[in-house]
Amino acid sequence: MPVIVMASPKGGVGKSTCAVLLASEFARMGADVTVLDCDPNKSLTRWASHGVPTGVTLKNEIGRSEIVPTIRSADGDGKIVIVDLEGVASQLVSRAISQADLVIVPMQPTALDAEIGSEALALVREEEEALGRSIRHAVVLTKTSAAVKSRVQKELEEQLRGAGIDVIEPSLVARAAFSELFAYGGDLTAMMNDPEMMTGGKVDKALINAQAFAEAVYERLK
Amino acid sequence: MSGSNRLAGLKARPKGTTVEEVRRVDEVGEARGFLDRTPRKKPGRKPSPRTHQLHPKVFPEVGEAIAEEAENLGITQGQLIEQMWEIYRTTR
Repeated sequence: MPVIVMASPKGGVGKSTCAVLLASEFARMGADVTVLDCDPNKSLTRWASHGVPTGVTLKNEIGRSEIVPTIRSADGDGKIVIVDLEGVASQLVSRAISQADLVIVPMQPTALDAEIGSEALALVREEEEALGRSIRHAVVLTKTSAAVKSRVQKELEEQLRGAGIDVIEPSLVARAAFSELFAYGGDLTAMMNDPEMMTGGKVDKALINAQAFAEAVYERLK
Repeated sequence: MSGSNRLAGLKARPKGTTVEEVRRVDEVGEARGFLDRTPRKKPGRKPSPRTHQLHPKVFPEVGEAIAEEAENLGITQGQLIEQMWEIYRTTR
């Protein structure tokens, strides 16, 4: 089963959010999903401490030496493996990328995110060359405006596509519900159905966005 | 997406995991600044668990003899006192 790696040497771009949304949606489709939390900030471990959706298993405390065998063993179990990496340029990141079927590089539509995120894209291409095989990779723009597509976002998408980089549509809109997942655990469906959960945003719209994003990722794994 | 497991048909592509392939990946990463950032252990010797201090006043020749004996045995004066205490405790 495929290994999906969230990579960007920049922190705060939405790697953990992407990982949670994909894990939840793929599990909802009936897959067994193993999520590897390789981020020292332990965002996914915090999310999981409040409860994980059925079908999702989380592993953490994975270092540079363990990353390849851990991915291999999880992959061997016939599960979808989603790897959430630390937001730094490290060997842990380069090794995880080498084991990916799809590398997703989340990027906010800002010049800084694009510049630092492009390091991950360049690394993927260099690893492809060194290993003599292709590693599929794509950018997803995150924390975008729900109302309008900004000029900066349009220009960035144009530049990325012009450079032959796959850009996932839809982008992930800035939604309070995405952030609140880390406070409540579980998934957006549970959040929407639980009247006890207080959210500052529109969970239904967040869910539609997450499902469309997961569908776009699924298309790239076929 | 439907609830049925459409993902079951997805397959992983074969990937290399030999030492040589990992080395090549590390080299490519290092050239781009993706370095080994595993936290290092704190350098230097570990603090001694011997934290209790004794301040006995003895005649100079006794103090010098204890210091000399500890040096000859290659242990600290504290360790020598511990050994002396152990003998005293077991033989009294």
